[in-house]
Amino acid sequence: MEGSSSLPSDSKPTAAGVSKYLTNLPSRGLFSSTVLSSNPGGMRVYVCDHNTLPPEDQLIKTNQTNILIRSLTLKKQRGDSSSKDAKSTAATEGSKKRAAEKALDGRSKRALTNTQISSRQEGSNSRAPVKDFQGLTVERLRALLKERGLSTRGKKDELIARLKGVVG
Amino acid sequence: MSVWNYVVTAHKPTNVTHSCVGNFTSPQELNLIVAKCTRIEIHLLTPQGLQPMLDVPIYGRIATLELFRPHGEAQDFLFIATERYKFCVLQWDAEISELVTRAMGDVSDRIGRPTDNGQIGIIDPDCRLIGLHLYDGLFKVIPFDNKGQLKEAFNIRLEELQVLDIKFLYGCSKPTIVVLYQDNKDARHVKTYEVALKDKDFVEGPWSQNNLDNGADLLIPVPPPLCGVLIIGEETIVYCSASTFKAIPTRPSITKAYGRVDADGSRYLLGDHAGLLQLLVITHEKEKVTGLKIELLGETSIASTISYLDNAFVYVGSSYGDSQLIKLNLQPDAKGSYVEVLERYVNLGPIVDFCVVDLERQGQGQVVTCSGAYKDGSLRIVRNGIGINEQASVELQGIKGMWSLRSYTDDPFDTFLVVSFISETRILAMNLEDELEETEIEGFCSQVETLFCHNAVYNQLVQVTANSVRLVNSTSRELRYEWKAPAGYSVNVATANATQVLLATGMGHLVYLEIGDGTVTEVKHAQMEYEISCLDINPIGENPNYSQLAVVGMWTDISVRIFSLPDLNLITKEHLGGEIIPRSVLLCAFEGITYLLCALGDGHLLNFLLDINTGELTDRKKVSLGTQPITLRTFSSKNTTHVFAASDRPTVIYSSNKKLLYSNVNLKEVSHMCPFNSAAFPDSLAIAKEGELTIGTIDDIQKLHIRSIPLGEHARRICHQEQTRTFAICSLKYNQSSAEESEMHFIRLLDDQTFEFISSYALDTFEYGLSILSCSFSDDSNVYYCVGTAYVLPEENEPSKGRILVFIVEDGKLLLIAEKETKGSVYSLNAFNGKLLAAINQKIQLYKWMLRDDGTRELQSECGHHGHILALYVQTRGDFIVVGDLMKSISLLIYKHEEGAIEERARDYNANWMSAVEILDDDIYLGAENNFNLFTVRKNSEGATDEERGRLEVVGEYHVGEFVNRFRHGSLVMRLPDSDVGQIPTVIFGTVNGVIGVIASLPHEQYLFLEKLQANLRKVIKGVGGLSHEQWRSFNNEKKTVDAKNFLDGDLIESFLDLSRSRMDEISKAMGASVEELCKRVEELTRLH
Repeated sequence: MEGSSSLPSDSKPTAAGVSKYLTNLPSRGLFSSTVLSSNPGGMRVYVCDHNTLPPEDQLIKTNQTNILIRSLTLKKQRGDSSSKDAKSTAATEGSKKRAAEKALDGRSKRALTNTQISSRQEGSNSRAPVKDFQGLTVERLRALLKERGLSTRGKKDELIARLKGVVG
Repeated sequence: MSVWNYVVTAHKPTNVTHSCVGNFTSPQELNLIVAKCTRIEIHLLTPQGLQPMLDVPIYGRIATLELFRPHGEAQDFLFIATERYKFCVLQWDAEISELVTRAMGDVSDRIGRPTDNGQIGIIDPDCRLIGLHLYDGLFKVIPFDNKGQLKEAFNIRLEELQVLDIKFLYGCSKPTIVVLYQDNKDARHVKTYEVALKDKDFVEGPWSQNNLDNGADLLIPVPPPLCGVLIIGEETIVYCSASTFKAIPTRPSITKAYGRVDADGSRYLLGDHAGLLQLLVITHEKEKVTGLKIELLGETSIASTISYLDNAFVYVGSSYGDSQLIKLNLQPDAKGSYVEVLERYVNLGPIVDFCVVDLERQGQGQVVTCSGAYKDGSLRIVRNGIGINEQASVELQGIKGMWSLRSYTDDPFDTFLVVSFISETRILAMNLEDELEETEIEGFCSQVETLFCHNAVYNQLVQVTANSVRLVNSTSRELRYEWKAPAGYSVNVATANATQVLLATGMGHLVYLEIGDGTVTEVKHAQMEYEISCLDINPIGENPNYSQLAVVGMWTDISVRIFSLPDLNLITKEHLGGEIIPRSVLLCAFEGITYLLCALGDGHLLNFLLDINTGELTDRKKVSLGTQPITLRTFSSKNTTHVFAASDRPTVIYSSNKKLLYSNVNLKEVSHMCPFNSAAFPDSLAIAKEGELTIGTIDDIQKLHIRSIPLGEHARRICHQEQTRTFAICSLKYNQSSAEESEMHFIRLLDDQTFEFISSYALDTFEYGLSILSCSFSDDSNVYYCVGTAYVLPEENEPSKGRILVFIVEDGKLLLIAEKETKGSVYSLNAFNGKLLAAINQKIQLYKWMLRDDGTRELQSECGHHGHILALYVQTRGDFIVVGDLMKSISLLIYKHEEGAIEERARDYNANWMSAVEILDDDIYLGAENNFNLFTVRKNSEGATDEERGRLEVVGEYHVGEFVNRFRHGSLVMRLPDSDVGQIPTVIFGTVNGVIGVIASLPHEQYLFLEKLQANLRKVIKGVGGLSHEQWRSFNNEKKTVDAKNFLDGDLIESFLDLSRSRMDEISKAMGASVEELCKRVEELTRLH
């Protein structure tokens, strides 16, 4: 009890040094009152009687694919797409787009392993002018804009509006 | 007790495991969020300090707690992951003041070895993903999409198996983790990985650093513009980034917690294992780190979490001591410390052991716990009842009465305190320095005893003495009028309110006076057949200054009578029965219900419902509060009226849900009490105790009152000895003064009133005190303390030597009477049939207490029983011995007197790792195990075969979510004989998180009813974050998960009382019972704790 109340002497700080480092501590005006009111206990206990289930799509599960199998399929796909990508750099704008879409196709398949047919269809339909931009990622939208020589700045909705301005 | 058990928390967890600061409840508000294992507390930071907002129960043990801000959100979300692999993301919806679940999920994997170093949950600073490290060799990723929604999680193989810490790096274009790990040569390294979300794999990161400090244990990612990571070791601190490497040596310490001070990460607070707080400064020139500095600031509780709040205020959460609110001062204090502790938040955890005692002999249990660890070790006295926080006290003998007076009628505060003695009256008042000093009210007669005082209308004071009623101007303090008692009669008892005075003189004269502006008029006089013992005219009707009823207590016929005012007509006469006269009567109203309270000379209290219009008395109830005469007084606290019953066992009477409740006050023998609400001591009470006048404030009504006895060392076992009025503890003291840390173990003797060490016995080097017992032996009238020890040698896996020491307390000293060497550590000691039963490693051993020829005593081995892995916990009942094994659950042994042998009768064949056992009744035994479960087993005496009889059948299972260290029979509440719960047997338990819980065995009918209520409540009260109550309470260990059975969750059931009326109606409909009936039954249960 006695020993613990005083600080070990060997580590006694140089007063000025510490004070220097303790200046300008961040403050947003809280704890500024000279008299702090203490309020021990008396905390309201939360009783939750509303529905606490998350939105349906936010009930998160883990992808059950074996890591090894997944990495193998990924490698294979990457191998495919990268070789195509390599070709497409030299090829025309159109084929570039196709390659990118192919990559997208593969990606969407990966993301939704629980065989969602709709995404497959979306993927295979993507050769036709894309109408439903909402389903694409901002990254992909930016790529499409770049292909069209448009500005890639702005929020997603702006990007879609800009794309629609060209397509529709 | 029975198999139908009801588990309820009497003291909530107080062990602070996590804390964080952010804008949770609104974009403008800054919150401190504190996790206490199974609860989170939300506080608001205000200019006036921390303001508590909400206490949220979580159906899980919180493993990680993080605030984060998804893209496009104005306020922070709260991420919580539980130890049972559930996670949820919560958002505060300020409009409806509710916690909304944004996402939740199960992150368990079917295969995988749980990490040894605890679960890690981290969120990318740019909010691209949540990372979880739950199983060795796996890193789970929950990605965010660009709308801030979570996507399907996936695992990534992590090569490093012994991970110590993982953090996300700031300022990386790809989410990058830094991993601190130990290789198979026990060397520690850090490595970085980029998380490739598309490929669902790691990509080798930008840098790594090999061969760090061997004690490196903690990573602190540094935010932009500096970025990089701090690696905190035991002897060095290293700053590491792709381009820079800086290191400084530190004083050897284990850093337990850190808190970032500046948003740019240039200063950090570090808390170490000894409770020292250091400031770590990263010196830098623009974005280039030039060095590190570390400075010692001072001492706090041993921190488990540190959160910088604002304006130099810091929250230090602790698992081993009280949590604190501290301020960092620019200038050091006299001891050289820059830390100023402003507030302490009580933490009972870890409760290693406790005992239930009745120190004041009041018929109410108190729990004395061994709480805290290391330097923050303490004893805590926990009792149910109301605490008086003493603010001032003065020695004053022979107080006969006290009243407080205001200096003018509408003054909100009291100024004078009139103290009456047998032959004089003194007046105390607050002076300008807020000190209580003696003053004078000239108009008062101060040479005689005052019978009653009160503030009257028209800025007047009224004083009643034996001879007269004096009316005094309260501002000029001059006498305005004096009503003299008729010659030959002296006033015996008197009472008054603002406009009325009622007094009684000898020979049964009752006189009623009314107060006017400068006059007192005798309005009515009545003659009783007997002497009057007490009276009251407290206004409880609509007019707060005028009572229409007077109540009078009588000698001789032992009755109370109600008269109408002003005509003094007898309305009701109630004979009290018995021979004890009423000593104090009081008219009072609680929650709109009017009562007549009548206190008798023997400490009993009668209460009646009073019909204020007809004066009718109904619903008579009698309770025993003490053994001495009671004086009743009303007072208010937090705008509610309560009644203080001053006696040898002072009690506060209050009303909750229209029921009268009684709560003890932590004072002994109060003779008088009066409210004294002065400007300097607002809402205070003046209390006259033996020879002392105290002014104090009153705690919250019906709260566990906790008193702390800091020891500065770690108490591990405690036991009380009634006969010597002492406690004995086994404790260990850490010495950090020398270069090498050492620990010393002691047996300490403490006075059970002052809690001072009165004697100590130092154990040998390496010798640990493991068990302690107060007992006596057959053929010996002395009472002894027996202590079991073990020699814990560094080279041994399991101690092979120990001792049993027998002490006697003589003149406040511990005297060693006998010692017996054992072949292992003595984990448990029990008094057993006048002998001593010890659990020694694998063996249960019985010792006789033998008288040697030379008159000295010794322990002599009688018989034993082998066959345990480690017999850690032992309880006995009659000839039965119940053993809780390290890993072989519960077994039942029996001692056979004729053969002098101990044999195994039955066992539970499950592989439970036990943490505590207790015997509920002859056939049912309760156990707690290390996966935070409770279970009961039953002896099967009627089994047809030996095999059946030899099996303890598991009858109850429940996940309590707490690591239980000890069970003890007893109760925290006063068992009033007239209450239904008085008959329900209870067991108290103490846990690592500082929970004190109660297990009550219910009658089967009540159990079934409550089980149904619990099922209905589950449908209405939802788990925060979508966590399921049913899953939370299901028995769970590595081998199995099964639904809870024969245990009910009292915390859920009692939250029925907090529901809105419409929800109550909903449940009432489903239950087929009225809301009133349900409330009544649940309230009864709340009186168990």
